[in-house]
Amino acid sequence: MSLPPDYSNEISALNREILKAQPSDVLQFCANFFLRRLESQRAEFLLSQQHSSQRGGGMAESTFPGSNPFGTSPSGGLSTSGMHRLEEEEENDAIASPTAASFPRSDMDNTQAHSDTFGNFAGFQASANRSQAPKAQLPSAVGGVDPQSFPSNYNLNRRTSVSAESLNPTSSLHDNWVPPFHQKTSEQQSRLKAAVAGNFLFSHLDDEQSALVLGALQEKPIPTKGIKVIQQGDVGDYFYVVENGNFDIYVNKSGKLEAGPEGLGRKVGSVGPGGSFGELALMYNAPRAATVVSTEQSTLWALDRVTFRRILMDSAFQRRRMYEGFLEEVQLLSSLTPYERSKIADALETRKYPAGTTIIKEGDVGESFFILETGEAEVYKRGNDKPVNRYKKGDYFGELALLNDAPRAASVISTTEVKVATLGKDGFQRLLGPVEGIMRRNDPSKVAALDDGVDPLAKAR
Amino acid sequence: MAAAVHKLLHPHHPNGEPPPQSNEPPTSPQNRQDLASMEYAREEEKRILAHWEEHKRPLSPGQITEDASRKIVGHSSTVLRQEDFELIKTLGTGTFARVWLVRLTNPQDGDRNKVFALKILRKVDVIRLKQVEHVRNERNVLAAVAGHPFITTMVASFQDPDSLYMLLDYCPGGEVFSYLRRARRFNEPTSQFYAAEIVLILEFLHEKEGVAYRDLKPENILIDAEGHLKLVDFGFAKKVENRETYTLCGTPEYLAPEVIRNTGHGTAVDWWAFGILVYEFLVGQPPFWDQNPMKIYEQIVEGRVRFPSAMSPEARDLISGLCTVDTSKRLGNIKGGAGAVKAHPWFRHIDWEALYNRKIQGPIVPHLRGPADTRNFDEYEPEPEGREPYSQDMREKWEDCFKDF
Ligand SMILES: Nc1ncnc2c1ncn2[C@@H]1O[C@H](COP(=O)(O)OP(=O)(O)O)[C@@H](O)[C@H]1O
Repeated sequence: MSLPPDYSNEISALNREILKAQPSDVLQFCANFFLRRLESQRAEFLLSQQHSSQRGGGMAESTFPGSNPFGTSPSGGLSTSGMHRLEEEEENDAIASPTAASFPRSDMDNTQAHSDTFGNFAGFQASANRSQAPKAQLPSAVGGVDPQSFPSNYNLNRRTSVSAESLNPTSSLHDNWVPPFHQKTSEQQSRLKAAVAGNFLFSHLDDEQSALVLGALQEKPIPTKGIKVIQQGDVGDYFYVVENGNFDIYVNKSGKLEAGPEGLGRKVGSVGPGGSFGELALMYNAPRAATVVSTEQSTLWALDRVTFRRILMDSAFQRRRMYEGFLEEVQLLSSLTPYERSKIADALETRKYPAGTTIIKEGDVGESFFILETGEAEVYKRGNDKPVNRYKKGDYFGELALLNDAPRAASVISTTEVKVATLGKDGFQRLLGPVEGIMRRNDPSKVAALDDGVDPLAKAR
Repeated sequence: MAAAVHKLLHPHHPNGEPPPQSNEPPTSPQNRQDLASMEYAREEEKRILAHWEEHKRPLSPGQITEDASRKIVGHSSTVLRQEDFELIKTLGTGTFARVWLVRLTNPQDGDRNKVFALKILRKVDVIRLKQVEHVRNERNVLAAVAGHPFITTMVASFQDPDSLYMLLDYCPGGEVFSYLRRARRFNEPTSQFYAAEIVLILEFLHEKEGVAYRDLKPENILIDAEGHLKLVDFGFAKKVENRETYTLCGTPEYLAPEVIRNTGHGTAVDWWAFGILVYEFLVGQPPFWDQNPMKIYEQIVEGRVRFPSAMSPEARDLISGLCTVDTSKRLGNIKGGAGAVKAHPWFRHIDWEALYNRKIQGPIVPHLRGPADTRNFDEYEPEPEGREPYSQDMREKWEDCFKDF
């Protein structure tokens, strides 16, 4: 039986080294030798893997068996070749704003990958000069990543954290912040509404928030052509909607506006009435990804980040505190800890009904519990013409549904337009488990009492 | 005092060149006696620093929270100064911090090999980038959690007129990020191991400390000499307890939908990010990605995660549970908290007790030549010179905010 040729090769290499170095500590020398060999073999493996993937052939698996980060075991772990392929994604073309448009992608080139897209920002740009590519990513490893495994051209660099200015809710302080309000005609209003309708930052807003945000947009006349409203690389604090006029959009490959005639870079698009740009500034302070220049006398609407985020925060904050306040009054839930209460408040869903809506119906199986947030409602029981009770802001009903599947003991019908906060039994149990358990914390007899048919509809505040 | 002025303007030396030895005190004590006792306190403190690890054992989560005042680490030192440390090499840089590998200057005989990571933040940068609140949170949270087996230990913090310092135990394995990018993706057992250690961290932070971490990503997870994880960078960590918070922070691909929409967020954001992290471990890139960050955010609030066909059903189920837009349905945030995550089938092979006690061998144990080996860290540019000074105006306005550091 002969020794494997790989082994013989290694041993003769070692022999040569020993002869050359004449080490005094032979064992240490051999150990070092093999460690070095192992290291270079791993590196080679890594490289060969990259090459094979470039050819698009069957790619070796980079699994992580045991302590060997570059493990060569072909069957290790669960990752199989199917894992490399994410299903191809349809391009999203939902956003109307030109700032959201994707411009031609550069290849998997780490330094280029960011500068080609208008919407691309500091986070990534900063990460490019933050450090060189990791040591182990030898040049070929950086350049030749299998496009199939990274279908969306993923940026492999370290990612930089982002953060906006710290915001604390107004109501917790003494001052009373009110958002700026700039009067607009109803045509202007509806144009603005339409302009931001496709933007996900605005589409989640409720009517009140939306009114506050639209009211806060401030008119900004652009007196002439050639004015740079935003400059690539500058910090960004404002989002703009075009009321009238026109603007061209330029991107300089260097990542920022430069001096000289070519300093603007390449024109990548233009934006006219109803268009908008600079929306990332509503999230956090990131360098602008493009320069936007007026081509004629124009008018813009401007909204700054702090105002925008503060409007959202204040309304969310007030709503939560209101819900927590309401929940404190719910007897069935009186033993909730503040933490649990805030979880439930977070989970409450707001719904609006016009006047005359039957919100719950006597005899139906109850699924959800309701708190009346605004408006009024009446309670009817079969056999009575007149309402047996009236509900106003802060009153709650249907909470027994959280406890059991008993039929509703009465109907509740809105008399005005109403806004209710509601939570289903499922939702409640998902968050905190069965209500029975929570009630038993205080007083085990309570559950029995309720089961005996205390009518909660009779005891509105 | 020319030397002192020089130091004020150039507190760190470019290229990691060690600072010159200085015999000048940092302040001007009234008399020699003060000076001598201060010198003594410094030497004593350095001696303790060099040996604190000998007293280290994994504390139980309960012990960490109860014994905060009795811990030998995590205190704010009034005697340490930058000159007590020799800057060896930059380990990493953030937006405004630089982390150095350091060793004690004039160490006692046995302490020559003892190294630390020193995170240095210039006050002027902290103020300019509006991170004063975050830096205070970072120090306080790190002090509170010192002793957890998978969180980097802040041994001490201190400051001088220009800068803030956090002395951390050095994690020689480098970032999980580097291993992940090199391997492209982790197999399931590797991902499970690291994910499980992260679950223990989140369980502790959320349920024992009421802290939301808010910047989970492979870049912030280091590997220690024994192959276990250490979470670093508590720059966005905040004690939220039962109140929601609103400041947007994190890393674009890892932001939770409620952070983007500014509806108020809490510890649930970490479970979202944890889902993204597990996905990135298994796939090699996060689920939501576009070159245009606004498009990332649009995908996030929509919350439709697509999985590679080969991903195991358990992994998909876990990630779907974590990356659920509705926080009242998100795994980790719903009933059972972290316990529900631990009970997920994807983790069925994990012995949680043994894991917490560091008894399970990790998949990567770094090969190291010695305690100060930095082969697992990248090279960084030297620090730019001639940076904005901390002006008297700024000092008057802000210095008070740093007084507890
Ligand atoms: N204790 C440590 N041991 C080794 N390296 C560290 C340690 N702490 C931080 N680093 C390195 O420095 C980098 C930046 O540190 P971090 O705390 O994240 O700074 P920043 O808050 O500026 O982002 C980390 O990603 C890591 O590579």
